[in-house]
Amino acid sequence: MEKRVYIAGLGIISPLGEGLAATEEALRDNRSAIRPLDLFPLLHGEPLPTGQVRGLAEQSDLPRTHRLALNAARQAMASANTPPDAIILGNTTGGILTTEALLRAKADNKELYRYHGLNSVAEYLAQELGCCGMAMTVSTACSSGAVAIALALEMLRRGKAKAVLAGGVDSLCRLTYFGFHSLQLVDRQGCHPLDADRHGMAVAEGAAMLLLTTEKPARPLAELLGAGLSCDAYHPAAPHPEGRGALRAMQAALADAGLNPTEISYINLHGTGTPENDLAEAKAVRTLFAAPPPLSSIKGATGHSLAASGAIEAVVAAIAVAKDFLPANTGCRNPDPALGLTPLRQPTNQATTAVLSNSFGFGGNNGCLVIAKADRFPPPSPKHGKAGLAIHGYACLTGAGDTAATLTLLAQGLPVAGTADLAGISANLPPNLVRRLKRLPRLTLSLALSAHQDSGFEAKPAAVFMGTGWGALSETHDFLTRLADSGEQFPSPTDFVGSVHNGPAGQTAILFGASGANITASGGDYSFEQALFAADLMLEEGQKSALVLGADEGHPVLSPLLDPSIAPDTLLADGGGGFCLSRKTAGAQCLVRIPFYQRSAAEGGIKALIDALGGAQTLNGKYALLLAGIPAAVREEGEGQLAEFLAQSGLQAPVIRYREFTGEFASASAVAAVMAASFLASGKVPGLLVSGDDLALAGKKNAILVLGLGRYLSAMKFSRP
Amino acid sequence: MNKLTAELKVKIIDILNLQDLSPENFDENDRLVGGALGIDSIDVLEMVVMVERDYGVVINSQEVGEKIFSSLASLAEYIKENTPGSSP
Repeated sequence: MEKRVYIAGLGIISPLGEGLAATEEALRDNRSAIRPLDLFPLLHGEPLPTGQVRGLAEQSDLPRTHRLALNAARQAMASANTPPDAIILGNTTGGILTTEALLRAKADNKELYRYHGLNSVAEYLAQELGCCGMAMTVSTACSSGAVAIALALEMLRRGKAKAVLAGGVDSLCRLTYFGFHSLQLVDRQGCHPLDADRHGMAVAEGAAMLLLTTEKPARPLAELLGAGLSCDAYHPAAPHPEGRGALRAMQAALADAGLNPTEISYINLHGTGTPENDLAEAKAVRTLFAAPPPLSSIKGATGHSLAASGAIEAVVAAIAVAKDFLPANTGCRNPDPALGLTPLRQPTNQATTAVLSNSFGFGGNNGCLVIAKADRFPPPSPKHGKAGLAIHGYACLTGAGDTAATLTLLAQGLPVAGTADLAGISANLPPNLVRRLKRLPRLTLSLALSAHQDSGFEAKPAAVFMGTGWGALSETHDFLTRLADSGEQFPSPTDFVGSVHNGPAGQTAILFGASGANITASGGDYSFEQALFAADLMLEEGQKSALVLGADEGHPVLSPLLDPSIAPDTLLADGGGGFCLSRKTAGAQCLVRIPFYQRSAAEGGIKALIDALGGAQTLNGKYALLLAGIPAAVREEGEGQLAEFLAQSGLQAPVIRYREFTGEFASASAVAAVMAASFLASGKVPGLLVSGDDLALAGKKNAILVLGLGRYLSAMKFSRP
Repeated sequence: MNKLTAELKVKIIDILNLQDLSPENFDENDRLVGGALGIDSIDVLEMVVMVERDYGVVINSQEVGEKIFSSLASLAEYIKENTPGSSP
């Protein structure tokens, strides 16, 4: 069925101000809000120009990111009577501004770090707004906000929700302030996108949220008509020089919206102001548009607010179609003739029916959105078939080593928890490829290669979906440590590039030339589930295969501080699981679906979970084994939920608490998923794992349920093809 | 100059983790960036930081970096010419 997705509410807080009116006024004034940084003190030198939000209310222990996000979320929800069904938030650094101060003060009370995780922002919004559905966090660097909105669009089109709050947020912090400077990407003179004399970006902050609904609001602000994702698969930090990925994302967005280039009234450019980005984007625009429509970048006014920018610019696109108003390319004095574009020099009132909004990020992660006047264009035709993914290859890494070593120990009923040595993890990786890579990207690449090899596919996967609870902890730790130790003078550009959550997925894309969607999700202990959910939303029928990966590294300093399930005396464990999958069930080793994902605080959650699995009778008829994920930090709550689930469903299958075997780490569920897949492939569950004889997965009762318990309830179903 | 060159070889192999290379088979006249070593723009920036930290020589890579980092010999030459307090 055709489904239109309307924009029912908007929220924005940026250096331009708070709210739609203030934003529009600043844009009409063609005013730049870029000023020298004064948010945190610097040990050396003149502060660089940044886009800082002014006048944000202080609140004792809540990081700035969370406050920015809630501010925008409340605005977007102002006219809604009910909470959204789900929240999808783009974010790159979580509560790191607070974490940086805590680490410098050598604070070791882990309670103080509870807002560090990227997922903590979306979960905080869910709690404040009373959202009981999925709170998903997308971290694809500077395209995060746009990718979050693209995921929300698919979720709505597929009828998995009726109202989704989607957007992006990032606060200024030392990591990004010094990181982008170390890459020599910051313009000391402000930010002048598309100017012949441009020297870079201005790091900024902000938040923007869109309330997206399939039910037509009384007064829709605009319609989200389409979205397109791609990956450059070229370089961890630099865009493809010809704008190849940018072009593909724009083409995909137009195709998704069902529009021709001539139907676009205005392009809101990514336009960061770095020489390379603007040139690559210009080439892509000129390739797609024989005669480009009016276009501009607003980053000379706002700066580049990273994960927020795609959402902020989606709000600006909505203002453009709602008010027939096009913002100027603030800060551009002499357009660079090499770009061959004519940016808007003045704010312009002009009839605007459809806007293309571009966002490109590190890792070559690109996301483009098409926002149009409501009901002006025909609804895009539905293109998706049944949900569900077919697993053709799998691999895992644990303290025991690779897939074979892990499964051998598990078959003996022995734990596999621990941290494998780096050389072992890197055994299947070319040394030159990984010389700059620390633990998490190596884990990820190794999983990706092994899973693809296990599939037997000759064709390379086209898309990558990655879940990681904590991201690249080694790179983050090393960057912040060297920054502090050198008196803020000599931070490492390599560590900065490696510190982004989507770095490992970007490296995977480069390795395979995977130029399709490339999404990294960070949902704490549910990160792998979120990646799988994203893959199920975005993978098209007939498309080539995709990789779905879940990995976390155990870091001796940061893991015990950040992960609530890891105490100082907990055995450090890490690893993950990887799958090569597609929509083709023929020849598949097994099938996987993710039928349930909800906040556990929701009333009647266990009953809803049982219903989503087909009811007690179906459960008993189908499921031979339950793998239960109960993180140590929520053991009591999780055990209670498990007991309630077993009591209400009457399920008679054996239960394996898989963290007893994998150890405590956020993406342990990815290893559990590999366990499930391997049991189905071999047709039996080893007896020593279920304290009895080998359990045959035969007849009708041959499915395996992997439950995530604790703050959220999630279910993954593995079954025979 | 020889001492500086030898020192730079060790430092660059270390900070860029060039495992296949030893100071003995690192030819200072070979192409450094974009050549067989696989050294790219991020490595250049890492070397920029090292040169500033260890030699007090600031390089704005966007303008002059490409020429300076064309080979290890040219980098050593640049450091020698621009070291504070030293006469070229």
